[in-house]
Amino acid sequence: MIFAWLILYNGAYMKTNAGNLKKGDFITHNAEVWQVVKSEFYSPGKGSAVMRTKIKNIVSGKNIDFTFKSQETIETLEVNSIEMQYLYKDGQFVYFMNNQDYQQYQLPLGLVGKMANYMKEGNAYYVYVHDEHPLNVRPSNSEKLLVTETEDAAKGDTVSGAKKSAIVETGATIMVPLFVKKGEVIAINPETGEYVERVKS
Amino acid sequence: MKIAVQKENLAAYQHYLRLEECTHRFLSGRDYLRLTLPLLSPALVPESYLEVFETEFRYFEKWQKLYLTPSPELFMKRILAYVAHNCYYLGKSFRNSEPKSSLHSSEFTMLEYYRLGATYMDIATELLEYLKVLNGGKEELIYQGHKVHLGAWEKLSVDEAFVRYAGFAVGDVFDASKLQKKAQEKGYRTKGFSYEDLFTQIYAQEVESHLGANGHPTLIYDYPKEFAALAKLNEDGITAQRFEFYIGGIELGDCYSELTSASEQRARFEKEQKDRSLAGLISHPVDWGFVEALEYGLPECAGIAIGFDRLAMVFCDKTSIHDLRLVDIV
Repeated sequence: MIFAWLILYNGAYMKTNAGNLKKGDFITHNAEVWQVVKSEFYSPGKGSAVMRTKIKNIVSGKNIDFTFKSQETIETLEVNSIEMQYLYKDGQFVYFMNNQDYQQYQLPLGLVGKMANYMKEGNAYYVYVHDEHPLNVRPSNSEKLLVTETEDAAKGDTVSGAKKSAIVETGATIMVPLFVKKGEVIAINPETGEYVERVKS
Repeated sequence: MKIAVQKENLAAYQHYLRLEECTHRFLSGRDYLRLTLPLLSPALVPESYLEVFETEFRYFEKWQKLYLTPSPELFMKRILAYVAHNCYYLGKSFRNSEPKSSLHSSEFTMLEYYRLGATYMDIATELLEYLKVLNGGKEELIYQGHKVHLGAWEKLSVDEAFVRYAGFAVGDVFDASKLQKKAQEKGYRTKGFSYEDLFTQIYAQEVESHLGANGHPTLIYDYPKEFAALAKLNEDGITAQRFEFYIGGIELGDCYSELTSASEQRARFEKEQKDRSLAGLISHPVDWGFVEALEYGLPECAGIAIGFDRLAMVFCDKTSIHDLRLVDIV
């Protein structure tokens, strides 16, 4: 049971009000570790203000909606970001290696989410680590990837905002503007899988 | 925090200004008196669920605590009682201790108006006209790619909303023990949660996102009396004449048939003041002059408070109120 530590973990954590929760924070909730995906302050006409959140279980990758009172105390995990080399993924896990001590780590594919579609084998990524246990990959602002396949747009097709599909070097398919050509490098938002811009090479 | 000029918002800001002009024209044309009001007040209406900004007037030994008004209501109720005229305010209000977000700002623009002899449903009818005016007279509004027909409300009582979206039986939402049982069944935490807290959890989680998302603006009405604040109760004794309205899951305004009973208002003030002190909020003088205005005689009336930044955001097809500001604190 590689994840047994989750219940027994001894790492440092801090207490904070739920009103301070923000996207990306790791919290303990019902003796499990969750990452905040979305958090929104909500002030009703009466009664306590609440934080309406979406949280992701870091073992199962499952999302749930949960409402905290903004004043209640929550435990957040103290985390470090450690640079690691992305090795490969299989149907279940994403594998990393810490280049400092050659220790290998795995993260559930469902937890890493879309980011896993845009990571290049051999490249370095930051991984959030708590008490020597990896929690999740820190999403980058953009991933620059080579377009390996896309059809040339028909001449004269000038509809603004029109998109076509393209395959990038990691194998992922994304929608790009018509002017993007095979062999060009494009920037992608790895959290949404959306095209950002063409990168001059 | 720092001051930022957001040049990219110029077009949206200009749209915002046109919406302001439309608002002045619409309300002045319907016999509402425009009010310019103080922003600093020595006393406030005690409200247990919001925090205020406190400051001080200083002149030699004369120091006077002053508070930025979280709502223009305390001034407007006096105008209604002593001047007896329909009136409106379009200007700044301030709320402390709320984090900045796409829908929140500690200083924001409030549109509040009151009509004499009206009920909350009269306000609803007129409000629909106003929304059409803001939309340039057109009935179809496109917000974030979704069509919203401004020709009619989707009217839904709080009871109906809990039946439809949260699987409640009719009437159960008003019964504290049934609400608690239902919340428990659904897996919500209930220990240490008041009736209001339980209601809010389910409302925020299961009901709100559907409101104004079915092709029409939604009017959700007849709230539990616990959420009455300054609203008149219905004859059933368990609901208050209050509605909120929504477009695209976004709460835009809150309307009451106004409570005119001074004795009931006094009792509610005392309770709210006690709750404020229990919650550790800034202790400010209570505006008893407000109660005196009611004793003098507040005519039957209804009024609405609209988050004007949010409303303008919807009509500018933006997703954050901050996208309408040319200068902002970020």
